[in-house]
Parts: sequence; structure tokens; C-alpha cells
Amino acid sequence: MGEQTPFDEMYNADGTIREPYRALSEWLAEQPDKGLALMQADAEAIFRRLGITFAVYGSEEGTEKVIPFDVIPRIIAANEWRRLSRGIEQRVKALNAFLYDIYHRQEILKAGRVPEKLILNNAAFCPQMMGLEPAKGVYAHIIGVDIVRVGPDEFYVLEDNLRTPSGVSYMLEDREAMMLLAPDLFHRTKVAPVETYPENLRRTLESVAPDSAGRNPVIAVLTPGIYNSAYFEHSFLADRMGAQLCEGHDLFVDGGKVYMRTTTGPERVDVIYRRIDDDYLDPLTFRSDSMLGVPGIFDAYRAGNVTLVNAPGTGIADDKAVYTYVPEIIEFYLGEKALLNNVPTYNCTDEDQRAWVLENIGDLVVKEVHGSGGYGMMVGPTSTKAQHEEFKAKIKARPDNYIVQPTLSLSTCPTHVDGDVSPRHVDLRPYVLVGGDEVRITPGGLTRVALQKGSLVVNSSQGGGTKDTWVLED
Amino acid sequence: MRITIEHRLTLNAPSGTSQAMFHLLLTPPSGPAQTVESWSVEMAGIGQAGRFVDGFGNTAHLVNQPRPDGEITIEARGVVATRDTNGVLGRPPGEPVPALYRRLTPLTKIAPELVDGLKPTRSNRLDLLHGLMQRVGEKLGLPDEEAAPGQTQMQADGGQVQSQRQGDGATEDNARADAADYAHLFIGAARALDIPARFVTGYRLVDGPAPCNLHAWAEAFDESLGWIGFDPHQQICPTERYVRLAVGLDKDSAPALRTVPVVEIAQRAKLAVIPAAQ
Repeated sequence: MGEQTPFDEMYNADGTIREPYRALSEWLAEQPDKGLALMQADAEAIFRRLGITFAVYGSEEGTEKVIPFDVIPRIIAANEWRRLSRGIEQRVKALNAFLYDIYHRQEILKAGRVPEKLILNNAAFCPQMMGLEPAKGVYAHIIGVDIVRVGPDEFYVLEDNLRTPSGVSYMLEDREAMMLLAPDLFHRTKVAPVETYPENLRRTLESVAPDSAGRNPVIAVLTPGIYNSAYFEHSFLADRMGAQLCEGHDLFVDGGKVYMRTTTGPERVDVIYRRIDDDYLDPLTFRSDSMLGVPGIFDAYRAGNVTLVNAPGTGIADDKAVYTYVPEIIEFYLGEKALLNNVPTYNCTDEDQRAWVLENIGDLVVKEVHGSGGYGMMVGPTSTKAQHEEFKAKIKARPDNYIVQPTLSLSTCPTHVDGDVSPRHVDLRPYVLVGGDEVRITPGGLTRVALQKGSLVVNSSQGGGTKDTWVLED
Repeated sequence: MRITIEHRLTLNAPSGTSQAMFHLLLTPPSGPAQTVESWSVEMAGIGQAGRFVDGFGNTAHLVNQPRPDGEITIEARGVVATRDTNGVLGRPPGEPVPALYRRLTPLTKIAPELVDGLKPTRSNRLDLLHGLMQRVGEKLGLPDEEAAPGQTQMQADGGQVQSQRQGDGATEDNARADAADYAHLFIGAARALDIPARFVTGYRLVDGPAPCNLHAWAEAFDESLGWIGFDPHQQICPTERYVRLAVGLDKDSAPALRTVPVVEIAQRAKLAVIPAAQ
């Protein structure tokens, strides 16, 4: 599958321009020699000034890097986006219904539609969440759905990120940078705004405040601290939505309620957008050696005195092994067929499927069930024989630890590389906010681009960059 | 049988602790086998405690003490009337789905030889569980009731003394399986047979002078009878001499007390029968 011609989002097969890219194509043609290169240099300076950096774990070239930004935006037509966003909304509603069910009556397990052991013995399942009534019934408030495109009308969901999806600050900063770099391009096209995200995030968080909160609930962003790779984003979001950025030691629990230490004394906190993993959230309930969390915060949550966003235990719904059941989950709770495709996934615990996988490993993508960020995965067509053998051995040793999918031919977008414009593979992560009142999806999202020619790995930790993503308005 | 219970927990927070947090599972539930006639928990800060029901249906308290100084004491006491139901508890309302208790945990690993040759069916579940209880007894040996008083406290408690998920090196040095180990072995085996099973922290009335009446046992689920208690340490189903305090997946999820900072907790529970009125 690796050799087939990928879908080019700008050009039709006959070389003509696809309609959504018309204005961009004209603009590109008008750029003087080295115009894009100069713009690229400006972009770098803008990002350094804004302070947008990220840390690559295991990198030796200093911890702080500027994520590569490509000056050519990626464009999605209004009708394409309508279809996508309907599919996304359907998905997040079903996943929240699934979470409610498995932490209450577990009807879907009783019905045998999802294997019980897959859920109950899963490390991401959180028994402490049983029977808890989250405010307005919402578990996953902030979701990043990873989507790839393989044809004009063919989209696949790769992954639903329901823990603490990151990258939304890049979406916002990419737009800001693009408006500074190419204001004229925005005059020629009507682009749906993304800058409403922080305001929408705030509204979403306010909509799930506990009943005890006043008219203006107090919101805090809980970060593991400056050494976390996404610390910039935590401070950025807190700043943009006017919330307090806190580390664990800035918060404390008293009388079953959560307070923030301020210069004017303790202030009650109603909603916590936490960017700390479940395990580290509360040493009293989870890992007792955690220095990052707040002792007692989970009990305060259970007592209904604070809302945690996202709820602990949401990871069970984006587990890679559970992923294969999402179409089933949508049907079970909504009585509808899934609008967005899942990538066909092979189950290595099944003997026949495993044999086939081992035979064809060179054409396949192997992912660790609990891996993320592009770590612990192998893309068959771009890996060496030795890597194939290594992953074959891994699958044989622990078949339940891996899922295997066909290598999708990700669509390409024109990308500025070394003074030239050439196609590179992209994916898309739209950001979804599920409030007690409504579902808000920011038009577009984060486009990640694999800057290496032919590469299909778009993760920033693996040499990927980002692009501003435009959803055109009618 | 009416039983008075006095359960005392003491600990010392390290000096310089700015805030001590306490997660208490010290409120026994009323149910088919016991009715709580009166109960109180006393400690500094309990008046402002957060009260809630945890994921396993236990009544929990969250207490905090700013800058704790010296020895901290928690006293739970009350009167519980018990009934002998041959261990049968049915399906009390407000509990999570039984399937939850099929989850394996690091403490409830399966010993394959325990389940060897056992095949659960709809009709034989009760016999099978009794057989399992017997196998656990044979594997770990019968407990030594004459254990030295100092050891008894360690042996019989629900696992709270040293464990707090930091390993129980000190108790394991004794090379004696305690009641919790018996329960874990039973629970792991039941789960291996797809039978939901859970850990119970509670009290047991013993004859003669006993320094501590804290105990641990297991409960397994039967589709027709509901939850049924099994005490593999004593090789019986709980009688009216047993009082349930809290349940969980294993001893780490059902301790009477968890604290931050993690410190050693000494516990002492005294049970006495109230003579029937003349």
C-alpha cells in the first residue's frame, strides 16, 4: 500500500488546482524568488519571540526547541469540514456515553458488544471512578481527534485522545504567525476563526462547574511544572482564558474543598483543567510517591466539591485496543452508523491474524497499545529489515501489547522545503470541547506535517512540523 | 449478637509536615448481616471532613490537619448488631456492578495450582468456592492462634500497618501469611474462574484475650445468592462474630486509613459482646 500515489490536497490527478486551493495557488505564484524562504525566517523569529518551544525527551541538543512551522497553510473546504465535524461530534458523544456506562451499569459489557476483560483488566480503567456522577455527565471535555485523509471523500480516525491532548497552543500560534506573515492572503479568502478557542474553553469549563460554585466559577490550570514538555501550552492557555496556572503545591484541600494559595489568602477553586496524568493526580488515592499532585483532590472530586477536567479514567476510551470497538460503541449508544471511518486494525492475539501480520509486516504499521507520541511504533514500508524482525519478535512475545494497521497513504499538502515547494504528508488534529451545554469544535485544528520526504510520521517528537489549518467559510 | 467496637489508630506525622491528609474508611455499613446501631469517628478536623461514597460503595471521610504536632489519634467506636446469615449478603443496593471485581490486581495474582481442574458452572459455584477456600487453607497452612500478641496485630489487620502500598517488608520477614494473604489468594483464584471476588476489611470477635480484632476476608459473587463471605484464614463463612468495615479490590483499595504523608499506623480494635438484656 506504501507505493500508491497519495491524495494531493492541492492538485487533481490531471494537474489542475482543486477549488479550495485556488486562492493559495495564485498567491504562491505571485511570491518573488526567496519570498517563502524569507517568510520562513520571519516565522522562526516570531515563534522564538512568542516563546513557543517544546521539549524532546531523549534529545541531546538542549531541551528547548522551536517546533518547525511551515508557511504554506493547509486548506479544508466548508463542505468537507461540515462532514468532518458531524462525524467528530458523533464520536465524542458516543465516547462520553461509553464512559458513563462503564463507570456505572456496564450495559455494553453485559451485552457482550465490548469484551469485559478488555475494559476491566485495562490499566487505563479507573475503578475509583465507579458510580461517580461527573457534573452534567461529561467525562471527556477536551478531546483531540487524530484524523488522516486518503482521498477526496475518505477520512480515517487514527486515534481519539481523551486524556490531556496537547498542541492546541500551536494551532493558535500558527494562526497568529500566519496573519502576521501573509495578511494579504487573508484578504483573498474567508477563513473561519480559531482564536475563539480560549473563550470556548473557558465557557466549557464553566459549564461543568459543581452546583456549589457561584456565578463566576474559579478555574485553575494544573500543570506538572516547567520541566513538562507542554508547560508552555499550560501557561499559554491559562493566560488566554484568564485562569490561574497552578502547580500541585499551589493547591490544597481543606474540609473536602480545594483552595488555591494566593497573595490575598486562600481562594476556593471550582474547576481544575489538569494537565497531570491520572496516576500522579493525588498521592492519597493514586501513586503515593507523586510529588506533582494534590493530596485529597480526588476525594474532593468524589465529594462533588470540584470538577476535574478531563475526568480521571477517560483513558479507557482512547485505549488503542478499545479503539477498534468505537464503531460498535457509536451504534450501541446512539443507534447510528459511524460517520467517520476507523482504520482497519488487526488483532495479534488472534492466531490467524497474527500469522498474516508477521508475514506482511513490511507493509504494516505496528503500534504499542499504551504508546503515544510516535514512540514504540514502527512504520513497515520505511523501516529496515532489522526493525521488522525486532517488531516481529515483540509481537510474538506479547501479542496483546500491539495493534497493527495497514499503512495508510496519508494525503499530501504543498510544503516549503529548502526554498522549494513540494508535497509532504499531513494529518489533522481537530480540538473538541464538550461542555454541559454544547459541543464546540474549533474549525480546523492542528495540521502536522512530516518534513522528511516520504515520511509518514508526523509527531513533533519525531521530526514533524505544523501548518496553519484553514477551514474556508461559504 | 450486639457487639461494642473500639478501634483506635495512632500515628506520628513527621515534624515539619505542613498538612496531613487522612482518607478514612472507618464507617461500617448496615446490611443483611449487620445493623449499625451507633457509630462515631473522632479525630481533630473530623467536623469539617469531606464525606462521600467511594468507588466501591464505602462511606469515606477526607480529613486534613494543618501542621500536625505529635501523636495523632483516631477513634472509631459504636455498637453493631450482627446476624448469622451463613455469610450470605445478597445484593445490597448502592454497590458497583459485581463484574468490577473480576479485575486482577498485583496483589491478587493467580496461583494456577489453586484453580487446577476446577470448572465453574451455574449450579456448582457454591461448592466450588468452598473447595477453593479449603485449597487456600491447605496451601498456606492453618493460622497459629497462639501467635505472640505483638505479631497478632500485624497478622490480623486489613493490611494497613506497614503496607500503604510501600511494601510490607517488615511483616513478610515474619514469613507467615496473614489473613490478607489468605484472602488475596482466594480472590485471585475466584477471579481466575471468572467469579467476581472482593476483599473485606473488618473485625472478628475471638475467644479469650485478643490484643486486636482487626481481620480481613473475602467475598465472592453468586448469581442467585449475591455476595457470600469466605474467610480462608479461619476456613469458615463469616458468622455473627464478624463485622464488615470496608470492601475493595484488594487490601490496598480497602484500608481503614490512608495518609499523606505515608507513615506507619498502629491499630488496635477491641470487640466485646453486650450481654442480652435480662
